[in-house]
Amino acid sequence: MNIESPLIAHPLLVESLRPEVTIIMGILLLIIVPNLGNATVRIPMTQFRIPVFLGGERFRATSDPLIPGVISMFTLLLAMASSLMTFVEGAALSTVCISANGAIQQGCTGSDYILRSDAFSRIFTSIFNFALLVGTAAMINRMPARVDAKAPHPDSSDTIRARAIRVLLNNRRQGDFHLLILFVALGMSIVALSTNLFLLFVGLELASLAIYVLVAFMKEETTSGEAATKYFLTGSVASAVTLYGMSLLYIWSGSASDYASATLNLTGPEGLAATWAAMETLEPLAAIGFGMLLVGFGFKVSAVPFHFAAPDAYSGTSSPMASILATASKAMGFAALLRVLVVMAGPEFGSAAFWLPLLGLLSVVTMTWGNLAALSTENPKRMLAYSSVAHAGYLLAALAALGSGLASESTNEVLITAVVFHLLVLAFFKSGAFLVLTMTEIRDDSSSMESLYGLGRRDPIIAVAMFVFMLALAGVPPLSGFLSKFLVIDGIISASTGSGSLTAAGVIDWLNSVHWIFWLAISMALNSALSLFYYLRIGQVMFFEKSKSILPLPEAPMIRITVILCLILTIISGLGPFSQTLVDMATMAAQHLLKV
Amino acid sequence: MNELEILTLTPLFAGLLLLLIYEVVPSSTKKQATDLIKYANMGIAILLFGLATQIGLEHDWLSTWSSGSFGAQGSYLLESDYTSLISSIGVNWHVGIDALSYPMIWLTTLLIPISMLVQWDADKGAQFHSLILLMEGALLGVFAVLDLFMFYVYWELTLVPMFFLILVWGGEDRRYAAMKFFIYTFAASILMLIGILIVYFHSAPVAGISGSLTHHHFDIPLLMQQSSLISSAGLRTVVFLLMLIGFATKMPSVPVHTWLPDAHVQAPTAGSMLLAGVMLKMGAYGFLRVAVSLFPQETITMIPLLVFLGMASLFYGAWVCLGQTNLKRMVAYSSVSHMGLIFLGIATMQPLGIAGALFMMFAHGIISPLLFAVCGAFKHHYHTLEIGSMRGLAHHSPFMAGHMMLGWMASLGLPLMAGFVAEVAIMIAFWMTFGWWVLIPALTLILTAAYYLWSMQRTIFESGDPHHGILPDTMHGDEPRDVTWHENAGMFILGGLAILFGILPALFFDMMSNWSTGLVSEVIIDALTALGVTP
Repeated sequence: MNIESPLIAHPLLVESLRPEVTIIMGILLLIIVPNLGNATVRIPMTQFRIPVFLGGERFRATSDPLIPGVISMFTLLLAMASSLMTFVEGAALSTVCISANGAIQQGCTGSDYILRSDAFSRIFTSIFNFALLVGTAAMINRMPARVDAKAPHPDSSDTIRARAIRVLLNNRRQGDFHLLILFVALGMSIVALSTNLFLLFVGLELASLAIYVLVAFMKEETTSGEAATKYFLTGSVASAVTLYGMSLLYIWSGSASDYASATLNLTGPEGLAATWAAMETLEPLAAIGFGMLLVGFGFKVSAVPFHFAAPDAYSGTSSPMASILATASKAMGFAALLRVLVVMAGPEFGSAAFWLPLLGLLSVVTMTWGNLAALSTENPKRMLAYSSVAHAGYLLAALAALGSGLASESTNEVLITAVVFHLLVLAFFKSGAFLVLTMTEIRDDSSSMESLYGLGRRDPIIAVAMFVFMLALAGVPPLSGFLSKFLVIDGIISASTGSGSLTAAGVIDWLNSVHWIFWLAISMALNSALSLFYYLRIGQVMFFEKSKSILPLPEAPMIRITVILCLILTIISGLGPFSQTLVDMATMAAQHLLKV
Repeated sequence: MNELEILTLTPLFAGLLLLLIYEVVPSSTKKQATDLIKYANMGIAILLFGLATQIGLEHDWLSTWSSGSFGAQGSYLLESDYTSLISSIGVNWHVGIDALSYPMIWLTTLLIPISMLVQWDADKGAQFHSLILLMEGALLGVFAVLDLFMFYVYWELTLVPMFFLILVWGGEDRRYAAMKFFIYTFAASILMLIGILIVYFHSAPVAGISGSLTHHHFDIPLLMQQSSLISSAGLRTVVFLLMLIGFATKMPSVPVHTWLPDAHVQAPTAGSMLLAGVMLKMGAYGFLRVAVSLFPQETITMIPLLVFLGMASLFYGAWVCLGQTNLKRMVAYSSVSHMGLIFLGIATMQPLGIAGALFMMFAHGIISPLLFAVCGAFKHHYHTLEIGSMRGLAHHSPFMAGHMMLGWMASLGLPLMAGFVAEVAIMIAFWMTFGWWVLIPALTLILTAAYYLWSMQRTIFESGDPHHGILPDTMHGDEPRDVTWHENAGMFILGGLAILFGILPALFFDMMSNWSTGLVSEVIIDALTALGVTP
């Protein structure tokens, strides 16, 4: 069914882009609602004044500082729900593509579209929206809006005044924060949807620019500015390199004399994927352009050696933002990476992709470096940042196995399923861990291990939740962290053991005959064992060390509810029917990605 | 849901629920809630014991139970259907019992109410007893599941309640002991996990049971049915050794036993009873269920190693006991020593030897809780565990002295008591296989008698003054008391059972020889033939 009609008028547009439309509506609401007021415009030459409702003295009900938070949470919730609807509706119905000339098409058969809404993009938009929702919920307690805030009395003491000003400031910036969050959601969704490199870059930058501001958002805290500056500088260099890489690919895709056929579309008869597949020997322009793309995406997923800003950014910014960086932003990087690696430069069955050695090396270095660095840090936020680096290494190992060309279609599916599933469940337990840190951060600070000392006594339920998150991160069965790691290892082993000689008598003979990506699985297993030390250390300080503070943890109802929700999701996504539903969703996403 | 599934899942959920209920009741009613929760825990534990006994009675104590080929699918009693838990990787809920697991299940359900009874007046009773019920759930899971993944999950799950029992209710050095216990056994079981995963990757696809993504499964009966599980002999040896390390650490066998004395000395009485009574048996159970059943050829080639480990544990444990001054530490090392006999029994590869090893597991599971109950009562009433600081126990605490004497005698292998049957069976089988080498373990048993008699003499008797005895300084001049009624009741039950199973070992020995005959005739003989040895 191919319907050619003006884009805007087409009913499929709104239907297929429901989450994005929801977010845009949310952005508009966030701009309009707090600004509703009694402003009027006088009709020239007359005395009549027409109310325009924007500006002037704001209405009491709509200028309530709680409103932006409510709007953004509802928007994200709706966007997530409508993203998930894709999986309820079924695959055939929900795959919709939009091409550059405005054609919109259901089923996506062979045209050179630039946006593609399918299970793959929708599972990622669900992840983004969920992770942002969790971060927003945490921020509602971290940066609370108070209806009863008043300007301080001039005679009051400095501390009271500072506190009152802080409250006013928090009220004041509610709108800004939630607006930026929604922009992040929009940018990330575009990344997940786009099958065109340029559009992908636009989405990437929209999300990144908003994130740079958000990292610096708690500007009264000394480390925020530093973290944001570092993150911005490295991030913008990475973006520039990515863009340059894209321009090289653009030049390469056209013929030497005439750029008429040049394109940044991944798919289609003249798309990058087709050109790549037609290429007989690796052309330098393509290799360099592709490598530069890897730099940009490598920064987003915080792979070594592009990870240097990550620990500083995570530990400097507020914990809810760190959770967004570690889950949503990372998932965005992997969404882009998967599109480019699998769709554009995926290997033919039987022959390895040229990037295989590069990615294999990157993955081993990333996971080992991340774990070693996490072992030696005394700052829980930095530790989680390095654990995020290590996890990026595990996922890169899955991509490397994909690039070996040894894996059959079904093994490729397992590997992509593993990556997607990991990013999905990461949003449960990684966010949960950062949320617990947010609770310690509200009154205290969370940048030293001491803030977690004795948490088991101060708040047993939260401490147990944190411990479960740590076990899930470490990949202890039967929690969900185990399942995702296990699927990666399974994928690597089934890809590589096919290469080993089945008749080899001894272990050594067999190891000599097996493809080297087998060692990625061993390296993952060893690294997981290594990582146990620092994850369990959190448990140790929570249950064994004496607390420095006798204060109970803050009430923070939103965070508490979200932590419990994350805890339940972490447990049930490892075992039982819910886990199977998630794996099925991830498998559907993998099938859709491979079908492009 | 069959009876076995109810038996396995009830304590886990009930324990969690009771823990949660205690957390949420308002603090004004905590006191009444504590009592109610304690009684609820005890009631559930007793009902479960009744259920476990009922299962045995219904099936003629499994002594003639056989169905299908040994260890294969369908050969288990009360075997449940496959319920997919993680269908993407082929994890299934599949439980069943046979004569290997039934004694352990019965023992677990027996020891749980007794250990609750012995420490009925523990601090923070609601949490304490709920944790013990949770512990029961984890332990029963280990013995009932037939899926390697769930086996591993339950295996690790047992660590959690025990960790908290030691950490919260333990002695002075509890933090160190709890950490050491957790890290030691956790690290060892990771090696076991690697072994399990290698087995997993060699399992053949079975429709409906294997993972939808991975096409492998974890099911033990199906793995046993699969011919040539791992084709490379070298890899088989590696897997066997990995599993051996995991199981030997739990057992524990020299040289990986060092976590045990610390954990025992610091654990609360009920914790020690369960640790010695059931948790150590997990090692031997897992070794037989997984390592021996799946890799009989490797077991046969590794017999020298098993004999060495068994002899070393037996002798070293007894030797160290001789030098101990701490009562509980001595009993802990005696466990190491007795566990060595299990390896020796398995190494004989005779039905009698393996049945003897199984009976050793069972008898030690009755006797060692009695020993730890006595140690716990000693510590409770005399505030010390030093041998010799207290003399003339028989005068001050006649009941405690009586139980101590009974327990010590049972443990050193007095005829007509449970331990004796196991030792004799193992020794006879050992002689049949290894000839005069039997002298080494037999003579080591003299050491066992020596340290038990010596410690008894210095504690119960030797008061010098028949009317007062010597009281330890830690009493601060208080009048010594005898055991409390609930301690006394628990010890009476355990002591009575130690005698009962010494007089009527057939109650459990029949099913054990049934199982070991099956193992030898259907698994080990094949393996011997495959190795080219004529049995």
